[in-house]
Amino acid sequence: MAKTSVAIPRPAGAARDGRIHWSPTRREAFWGLIFVGPWIAGFLLFTVGPLIASLVLSLTNFNLVRPDDIQFVGLANYAQLAGDPLVIQGLVVTVKFALIAIPITMAASLGTALLVNSPRLFGRNVFRTLFYMPIQIPLVASTLVWIGFLNTETGWLNKLLAVVGIAGPDWINTAAWVYPALTLIGLWGIGNFMLINLAGLQSVPTELYEAARIDGAGPWKIFRRITIPLMSPILLYNLVISLITTFQYFTQAYVMTNGRGDPNNATLFINLDLYREAFVNNHMGYASAIGWLLFAIVLVLTLVLFLFARKRVYYAGGEA
Amino acid sequence: MVLRNWRALGTLMAAVMLIAVACSPAPSTAPTQGAAASSGPAASFVQITPEPIAAGPGPNGGTVVRWFIGLGAGTQPAQIAGEQAFAAAYNGSQKDVYLSLEIVDNTQASNILKTELASGTAPDIIGPVGVEGLNLFADQLLDLKSLIASTGYTSTGVDPALVDFFNSLGQDGATVGLPFAVYPSYIFYNQDLFDEAGLAYPPTKVGDMYEGKPWDLEALRGLAMKLTVDKNGKDATEAGFDAENIVQWGFDAQYMDNYNARAESAWFGAGSFLDADGKTAVIPDYVATSAKWWNAGVWTDHFIPTANQVASDLLGAGSEFASGNLAIDEAHTWFTCCVTPPAPKKPFKFGFAVQPTVNGKITSPLHADTFSILKTTKVPDAAFTALQAMVASGDLLTTYGAMPADTTKQQAWFDSISANFPGLTLDWDVAKAMLAYPDIPNHQSWVPDYAKVRSAMQAFGNAYRTTSGLDIDAELAKLKETLQGIFDAAQ
Repeated sequence: MAKTSVAIPRPAGAARDGRIHWSPTRREAFWGLIFVGPWIAGFLLFTVGPLIASLVLSLTNFNLVRPDDIQFVGLANYAQLAGDPLVIQGLVVTVKFALIAIPITMAASLGTALLVNSPRLFGRNVFRTLFYMPIQIPLVASTLVWIGFLNTETGWLNKLLAVVGIAGPDWINTAAWVYPALTLIGLWGIGNFMLINLAGLQSVPTELYEAARIDGAGPWKIFRRITIPLMSPILLYNLVISLITTFQYFTQAYVMTNGRGDPNNATLFINLDLYREAFVNNHMGYASAIGWLLFAIVLVLTLVLFLFARKRVYYAGGEA
Repeated sequence: MVLRNWRALGTLMAAVMLIAVACSPAPSTAPTQGAAASSGPAASFVQITPEPIAAGPGPNGGTVVRWFIGLGAGTQPAQIAGEQAFAAAYNGSQKDVYLSLEIVDNTQASNILKTELASGTAPDIIGPVGVEGLNLFADQLLDLKSLIASTGYTSTGVDPALVDFFNSLGQDGATVGLPFAVYPSYIFYNQDLFDEAGLAYPPTKVGDMYEGKPWDLEALRGLAMKLTVDKNGKDATEAGFDAENIVQWGFDAQYMDNYNARAESAWFGAGSFLDADGKTAVIPDYVATSAKWWNAGVWTDHFIPTANQVASDLLGAGSEFASGNLAIDEAHTWFTCCVTPPAPKKPFKFGFAVQPTVNGKITSPLHADTFSILKTTKVPDAAFTALQAMVASGDLLTTYGAMPADTTKQQAWFDSISANFPGLTLDWDVAKAMLAYPDIPNHQSWVPDYAKVRSAMQAFGNAYRTTSGLDIDAELAKLKETLQGIFDAAQ
């Protein structure tokens, strides 16, 4: 076989014979960069690029159907945010929903994880699969199914409530009940969080439980004093992810109301308002400003959570 | 070392290939298109032959005029075949203009056009498109007045009132489309349900009485209540009527743009939400009458279904009239598309009746389809030449199933629709009569920031449709404030 040499650019410090004599660390770094190169390229093109573009657009009055009229407006879009009743409504709706949905989702996913982790549960693997399965269903399809389930006339939920003598509410068309309805829909999809919690539960050393039992601790005390502290990094992770996804809440609200935010803007989540400004009203510059407002809020809330975590989250191997 | 170099080269090539694959566009089902046309999401373009051409002389030597289809009708396979046949015949009949079709997925058309406008690669002609679709691009449409004047174009066979209607659709009085298709609205009623209840059919002629009384809003309400039936067979006018268990409803206006109050109130009167000064929001009086009528119809008289009832299986999950459980529907001519129940249900007999009067006056909200030229066109004269041929084409009207604005072509259209309903005698005089009562200003006519106004009107409509005992006057005051805010921001 004929010998073939390949010319690879010689880095500084390479030997004069043309061969590369890198230290293992540098070689590892070089190949590491090569392998992550595609991801970095995609990240720059499809994440950093749009980020910068949206920041620039947020300082303009860019309208999709009047591209020629684009003007630099400075911080006018950001000033407008403060007085826009729909943006304020969007934030109120999102925060209200977060306060209702996040604690319930967190508690339900932890509770389910405890259930399917229990050695006393018959057919644990079946239940684990069943609780996880709804995740596999596309959000749009599952939301449509839920719309039918929650219908006051033909939906099963109100029919079931009627059996026990409860007159079911108008889940979708009343502002008071639409959040519980959306939370119910959300509960159907707690499989991911359940799985993460389950992994966390299984990583708690069993000898701690045994020691606690020997010391006379009851189940509640064990849960409070051992399970929760040792699960706290997992719970923090779930909380941060829940917070971010709640501020990105869109699909269910869009499908349920055809993107209108009904009833009476009670489901006009901030992300839905952003979408409407950008792609319905064509106010791309203003929508970009909403996007950055959303980013700032989520960033601040996440930082607050991490600050809180310093005192309240237990890392067995020291702080991560 | 050689082996290591080969391995290095292989790895580098793999990395380069990964980057190339990651950054290349998705495989396209579209044909190779010009730079302009390819700027949209390729998978949303419908593959057609001949392939679209962006610029330069066309195969017939004519100036290329790009015709963008997808905002309204025109994307069904049969329609695409008709459009291609028209373009082929037109391109073969002359050498001045080459009409190049760009057909995109209807659900993506608006976004694709916005993207093309934003990237400076917009087509020349758009359509067929309704008035609302035009409004979303209102300030991008070319005012055709100078082209009409310079070419001496006149709309043949079109009632002058309809010419005025088309001329009233543009922003600031611009003429943005030539008369092509019109869709008056009137009453569709389920004859089987009327027969079952032993009730006389509503009037088919303007001025006729119903059961000796004027055919007005009150008469419609009374009739609709008699046709609203609970599971025990009692109607909404009878004592003991069970409003919790209704199985048949008297009235609704299906597909009224997601409870858009502007559309739902249009048969109560015609008016502008923008004062003559072009800045001040106004709420025409008939809007309050309409909102109170709808709200009472849903929550007090129960002859209009609630949102949950509309979405229920009893009303065909939104296909209310076709479900056979809705007696009367206020709708446009195009609604003949949607009256046949899905199999295995058997079709029922239905008929047309004229709109009832409101405060002694008939208003028939009018929908219309046309084609428009975008301001960004570099070939306005060629585009207008093609536009004239398009609006004059009987074949295109047939292709779209559109009711012609040209009265001389209407009978053929009526016959074609009647052929879909063998055994039924549809009284097309109702449709023709309603054309004399269009809502001018139209309920879809331009207002500043049309999309936001539409959202506000939908929110108001949803409120009175879904809230029992809503304080309509207070909601109207809020609506006026909202509209004023939108108009102020649009200045």
